[in-house]
Formats: sequence, structure tokens, C-alpha cells
Amino acid sequence: MASPRLGLEAGYRPKKKMTDPVSSLSVLGPQCDAQRERIRKLFDNGASAQDTLRQLCELADGAIQQVFAELLRSRQAPAQGFCLLALGGYGREMLFPYSDLDLLFLFGNEKSEEEFRPLIAEFSRTLWDLGFRVSSAGRTLDECRRIEEDNAEFHLAMLDRRFLDGDATLFEKLDAKVMSGPEKQARPFLLNELQRLMCDRLNRYGNTIFHLEPNVKEAPGGLRDYHSTLWMRQLAGDRRDPRISPVNEDELTRNAVEFLSAIRCFLHYSNARNDNTLTYELQAGAAERSLGIDDNLRRNAAEWMRLYFRHARTLNRQLLRYMEQRPQATMTLRQRLVNATLGARQEGTNGKPFMVRDGLLELTNEQAYADRNATYALLTEASRTGVPVSREAERSIAYIMTHPELPQRNSRIAWPVLSEILGADYPGMALRPMHRLGLLIELLPEFRTIDSLVVRDFYHRYTVDEHSLRTIEHLQELAEPPDSRGLHFTQLWRTVDRRDLLILSLLLHDVGKGMPVGNHIVGSLQALEIAADRLRLEPEEKAEVHFLIEHHLDMSATVQRRDIFDPATVSAFATNVVTHERLQRLCLLTYADIHAVNPEALTPWKAEMLWRLFVSTSNYFSRTLDRDRLHASDESILLEQVRQQALGASKADIERFLDGFPRRYLAVHSPAEIAAHFALYRKLGAEPVQTDVKVTHHAYTLTLLSADRPALFATIAGVLAAWGMNIVKADAFANAAGVVLDTFNFVDLHRTLELNPGEIVRFRQSIADIVNGKQALEPLLKGRLAAALARPPKVAVPTTLNFDDASSDQCTLMEIVTQDRPGLLYGIGSALSRLGCNIEVALIDTEGQKAIDVFYLTGQGKKLAPQKQELLREVLNATLS
Amino acid sequence: MMKIEAIIQPSRFESVKEALLEIGIEGMTVTEVRGHGRQKGHTEVYRGREYTVDLLPKIKLEIVLADGLVNRAVEAILKSAKTGKIGDGKIFLSRIEEAIRIRNEERGEGVL
Repeated sequence: MASPRLGLEAGYRPKKKMTDPVSSLSVLGPQCDAQRERIRKLFDNGASAQDTLRQLCELADGAIQQVFAELLRSRQAPAQGFCLLALGGYGREMLFPYSDLDLLFLFGNEKSEEEFRPLIAEFSRTLWDLGFRVSSAGRTLDECRRIEEDNAEFHLAMLDRRFLDGDATLFEKLDAKVMSGPEKQARPFLLNELQRLMCDRLNRYGNTIFHLEPNVKEAPGGLRDYHSTLWMRQLAGDRRDPRISPVNEDELTRNAVEFLSAIRCFLHYSNARNDNTLTYELQAGAAERSLGIDDNLRRNAAEWMRLYFRHARTLNRQLLRYMEQRPQATMTLRQRLVNATLGARQEGTNGKPFMVRDGLLELTNEQAYADRNATYALLTEASRTGVPVSREAERSIAYIMTHPELPQRNSRIAWPVLSEILGADYPGMALRPMHRLGLLIELLPEFRTIDSLVVRDFYHRYTVDEHSLRTIEHLQELAEPPDSRGLHFTQLWRTVDRRDLLILSLLLHDVGKGMPVGNHIVGSLQALEIAADRLRLEPEEKAEVHFLIEHHLDMSATVQRRDIFDPATVSAFATNVVTHERLQRLCLLTYADIHAVNPEALTPWKAEMLWRLFVSTSNYFSRTLDRDRLHASDESILLEQVRQQALGASKADIERFLDGFPRRYLAVHSPAEIAAHFALYRKLGAEPVQTDVKVTHHAYTLTLLSADRPALFATIAGVLAAWGMNIVKADAFANAAGVVLDTFNFVDLHRTLELNPGEIVRFRQSIADIVNGKQALEPLLKGRLAAALARPPKVAVPTTLNFDDASSDQCTLMEIVTQDRPGLLYGIGSALSRLGCNIEVALIDTEGQKAIDVFYLTGQGKKLAPQKQELLREVLNATLS
Repeated sequence: MMKIEAIIQPSRFESVKEALLEIGIEGMTVTEVRGHGRQKGHTEVYRGREYTVDLLPKIKLEIVLADGLVNRAVEAILKSAKTGKIGDGKIFLSRIEEAIRIRNEERGEGVL
């Protein structure tokens, strides 16, 4: 919030010198200077900020009273119906060395205003000459009754009014009779305005205390937070919470105010002006003199700043809690509807010790939170729904966590629980409170190294922990991107696979900055080793996080230092990234990492460049799939890993199985999965169709191995459709020996397999029977497809169909983007089969209602002739329309 | 005094900066821009959507120099920004009448 607007410009500089009547004050100037110098020396020698502010205030009071008395004496006018008040910071006796003196000249009526107003300019000039910066206003008693709707700052400053000199009965009248009514009346208006001013101010500073060079007055966590809290309490009638505080909050607040006040005095004295920015240089200076600390421990600037952030957090936390407790005075229709919807979610949380009230998650049974599982259930709910945990709930949990008489149960979190939080749509909604409560550091002690850590550079605006949490928040806001920079990346965020691993990478990517290592990436990777063991990550999960941390700067460097329109750049980058799924994660990580450096770091230009590289690389993957085939004999490590898991298998057998698969096969399957596939392969002699069904993240995976045969892909897609399964992703690969390995990820729309686990056997048998020709597919499909097609799609997706003969040496690529619907793949696969097209490789993906399918096709072992392509286009357009 | 405006490939920016630094030129203004000359854009299709890149990303450097330094600076930019392909960019030179340092209102080549 700006300085209270009191009528005259702050720092008003008089044009005329003082006239004779007050020339006797000429000795006061040097006296004031001497006093100021004395107070400064005391401060430099360790006097507390509180004492310093008090003495500065007394100095100003004394000078003002003397000037006021002299002025009245020279005019021979008794101060009847006229008095002088201190407002704002000066009113509450917190006058900093170079702060303005906020003054109000109060007149009993218009007549006394007419009589005394000429004195104001002279009074201000005199004080200016004495070295005080005056910001003054004049009001009659009647004017004080009015609510100035465009000047809430004045009313807020009036809350801190203090009598200085003049007609004391006038001040009493103002206090007891005049202001009591209007102040009561103005409360809703002032609370609204205060809330608005605070939101504007906090937004201006990115809603975080963690600035590298913070403004100790205006930034979140600064002294303005403290004043705003006081105003809110005052306006709300000082409703103190009768409950026991989790810690002695009053003492914490007093310490924080003293610490920040000491810094502000130091900044004023160092800058010789009202400049409240704690720059790097002044941080070093403050740390050097152990400003605000009396434990005799030497600290470097970074360590001293951690103390600053601790105190700033106290003031900011308190303000946010008060802001949250105060309901909106008036809500728009939209807000009312949103609140009603959120309120209705109470039903959804039945049986759990929390509920949604006024759009916030509140605790309903505080005792339950001695069990950490309840806390994690609450946090999971926040990350799933995006509903924030209320500050009051957080405060209660903090109380329970810090009191030994309430022993915590289940304090170890398992990776699946953390994974659910990290993999949800709004992980930041849980991670913020977890960080404030100390739970994040409890789970990931590696994060402690960057807690409130200032690392100085030209670009970063926030501490390292704040930067890391912001990366995650920038991703979650992609659900509804606030500006055009995020538009392209929205779909990536919605569809990214293993979001939990991406978020874990973001939490750990910079922890090395707090470690004594030359390159922070090396430190972050060391931290991952420890964290992964503790969390018991699977080797593939750890490898993925390792890659993302190790290469978290690669995409940004490629965008900025390489020609991304050069195919060689794209090819080299793609070779390093390996799969589309990983590219998606790396792209989102890069987007978030640049975005969280400072609000301007991700320019639309950079966002566009990043997106271009993503598109080129993604296309490179889908268009070069058959270019790079496996030569199993070159993969000695993999062969050994598979051999260890496939008891009794010979190396030659495994080589025969792997030879000729596209490289993507290795990239998307772990050695354990490949060993499982090999086990199925070995059984093909006994049973020509081998299947396996596994439950994965919220879906099922069907793996099928068989010798290649006509319309195989279409048939499997048809069986899945007949069982009511929705295919969301699929790969179809074939090895050199003509063994086909198809993987389908599908969602069980009608929960058939979930509710009837026994049906899995029948499901697999049905696939085998239909593929082997023992059972017909059409009768099964008929009823299912008719019902599905009767339902209109929620979002219409136009069909596009492209052929590409250039990307592959042997195949024609066909990319289809169309409306997803049950039986779609069966329809496409059947059309391809009817026209004699063989699917060499297939990549099937979905984005919501959109299906994106890439097929590598041949006809009689060759690329498709142009006429065949045209015919195919016609047939498919007819099938898909 | 002359002003050099150089439109270069983003990927060459670091090399150009280093080349200028080597001949003692440290001050420059850098802007991320989009545009095209003879190097027309192209169309990329991603998941059924067409993305036409008709304005290509470039970096614009602006440097004001004393006359005596201009040729060396131009040479440094030419050498470090050139790849030989279409799209390497352009250099524009124009005369500057006056330069004023805001801090102390000093004028002339000395402020550069």
C-alpha cells in the first residue's frame, strides 16, 4: 500500500523561508540534528529498534510541539477549536529515520479552519527546515464524519491517530463522539478496501515473502503485513482467538517486528533516504554487524537472510490467516455459485475428518490429526481438487505436530501416498502447506539445504525453495493458463504420463544449490540417490527422475543456443531424450523452470521457441520409429538383465526375440517387463496367442504376443471395444522374425474387470479365441458399438488425415487425428486390412476426446502407392465421418 | 558515432557477444524479435494442428559506437553470426547525432 494520501504531497518542499515570528526556533535546527546523530550512534552501538523508533518519535513530538507553540504565540492565537494529530506510523510511534511525519490539522468548525489554515503552510515549512518531511492534511470535525470512499488510506491512517498538541477537548470530542459512529459504519467499507489494498500489494510482489532483495516494508512478510493485521484486528473489534496458540505467537510477532524494524532503520541510515529495499550489499552489511541478533554467532549473508525469512514468514502467515477468516463482504454471482459448488463437496468428504467451507478445506475433528494419515488424506484432497487448506486448519495441525503430549501416529509416509499427491492435478496446493508445516522437509530432508536460500544472480528473483515450489504452481495453473504463454503447454500438462516423477524432479532439481559442490546438478543427483532409497522408488522411477534432473537445463540451452529449425539439432536432441513421454516431461519441466525464475523470464518469444522444439522433436519421434531397429547382440547389458530373470533361457533365444524391434521398444519397457514379454514369447510354441493383463495407474495394460497375421491389430482393438474398454494408448511392434508384440492401455469404462476380477480369465480367453478364429467378433461388437455410437460426443474433433512418404525408408506414415469413440481403432484397423495394408508399427494416443494415431504402413512389403493412399483416405473419411 | 543494428540467429547470439567482448565492446541492447526476410517460414503439423511459422525468432542487437570502432565491430558480427545459410540476418548502420548520459548529463562519444 502506498503512503497514506493525506492531502498534501509527501515531502512537500516550502518555497519561502521562515518569517520573523518563529526565528527564535533557529536554535532548534542544530539541536534536532544533534539529537538525530545521537540516536543514530546509539542504534549503531546496538540500541534496539524499539528504542530507536521511540526516541525518533519523541524528538519529532518535541520539535512539533515547540514549533506549534511558537506559531500560536507569534499569532497571539490560543489553540481553541484547533489541534494537531499524528497519524499512520508516526501515530503508532513507529517513526523510522527518514519516514514522513503524517499529520492532521483538526478544526472544530469552518470558522476555526478559516482562522488557522494559513498556519499550516508555515508550520510545514518550519518543520522542513528542521529536517522533518511532513505529509499533512486538514479536516473539520464535520468532514471527519464523512466516509471518503476514494481515500481509504486516510481512514486507515486515522485508526492510528494520536493527539500531539492544541485543543485537547477537540480531540476528545473527535474520539468519543464524532468518530465512534462513522468508524463503526465504515468498518465493512474499510475491511473491503483493506482486503483489496492488501491483495493488490501482495500480488505486486508475487504473493511470496521469498524475494532475493525484499522490500522490508511493502513486500509480503514486511512491516506492512504487521500493520495490516493490526488494522484488521482493530476493525474486527480485536476478536482474539481464545484457543491456545500452537506457539507463543505474540512473542514471535514481537520478535519479528523488532527484527524487521531494525533492518528498516539500518536501510534508512545506510541509504540516507526512505528506501526499504534490502539489497545484496546491505544484506552483507547487516550480516556483518549481526543486525537484529544477540546470540553472538557470526553468520554470512545467506544465513542471516534465513533469519529474515523466518521472521517475515511469521508476519505474513498471521496476515493471511486474518485475511482468510474475514468473509467477502459482497460476492459476485459467479463467486456465490462457485462457493455453492464447493460447499456441496462436503458430501464427498463424508467420513473423513475434513470438509469444504467457503472454498477452503477445514478440519472437522482435530484429534484425528494426531494420525499423520489424516493429514496426508487432507493434503491429498487439496492436491486432487485444488481446494486450499485453510490457514486455521494449518495452524491446528502445526499445534498437534509440535506438542509432545499428542504423539504422532503413522509419521512415515509411503511413496504411493506421496506419489498420489505429486501426481494429482494441483500438487502445489498440498506442497505449500507441507513446506510451511515442515512436512516437506520431513519427507525430503534434501529440501532443507535450499530452505530460504538466497543464491545471488542477475536473473532469479526468489529464494531457491520458493523457485522450486513456483515451478510446480506454474504447471498446475496450466489447467487454466493465465496468459498466452501457457496455451500450448496446457495439453501437455493434462496428458503427461507419470506426473509424480516430474514433480519430484522439480522438487529436487535445484537442491544441489545448497550443497558444497561445484555444479549444483551433481549435488541434486547425489540428493536423489538418498531420497530414492528412502522413498523406495523403483529403479525405472529413479532413472527417470535422474534423467530429468541431470538434463533439466538441456532443452533451455538447445532453444537458446542452437538452431532449432535445423533438423540436425532436432535429431541430436531427440537422440538424447529417447521417448515422446520423456520429452513431454522435460518440456514441462523446462517451461516451469524458466517461468519461475522471475515473472518476466518466460517471454512469449521463449515460450514459442520451446514449443517449436517440442513439436519438431515429437514429430521426429513419431516419424522415425522404424528407422532405428534393435541389434540385440549390441545390447549386452540388457541381454544379461533379461537372462537373469528368464531362468534357463539361452542368450541366443533372447537375441532372436529382441532382434528387429524398434528402439522405442527398449525405451518404453523396463528390463523386467522385457523379461516378462520374453517369458510369453517362449510359450508361443504351446499356445499361439499369449496375453497378459496388468492393472497400472488408473488403467489396465494388455500385452499380446503372436505370430503376425492379417488384421491382428484390428481384431484386438475390436475385442477390447466389444468388452466396453476404451483404448487410451497403444504400441504395435514386430521383430525380425515376424512376432508381433502389441501393448494396449485401456480404461475399463463399465468397471467390468474391477468389479469381477474373475472375468479377466474370460477376457483373455475371449481375445485368444477371436484371434485364433474360434469365435466370431462381429456378434460381440454389434450391440456394444450401436449403443456407443448413439451417444453424441461431448467435444467435436474434426478429422485430419496425412500421409508422409519421406520420413521412413520402407513405410508410408499415416497420421490420423479424429474424434475418439469406442471401436475407433477397430474401424481404422479393419479398413486398413480390407485394403491390404500391413501395419508395421503403430502409435496410438488420446488427448481427452481426441485420438491421435500414427501408423507405419506397407502394401506387399513396399510403401503405399499414391493411388492406394487416395483410396485409403476416401475409405477412412467415410468410416470416420 | 554510429548505431549498429544487427538482426541475427538466436543460436549465434552467444558467439556474437563473445566476439564483441574480445574487441572490447561490452555494452549492447538485446531484444528478442520475430521477423523474416528472404528466409520464409514453414508449416509444422503436430497432432492434427497446423503451426505456421511465418515470423521466425531472431535476436536484435543495438550498439552505438565511436566511428573508429564500427568497422571492427561489424567484422566481428559478420564472422561470428555467419553460418552461410539463408536466415543469418542483417546488419544496419546509421549515424547518431548525440549521446547523453542521464546520470550526469554528460554528452558526446565519452558517454559510450
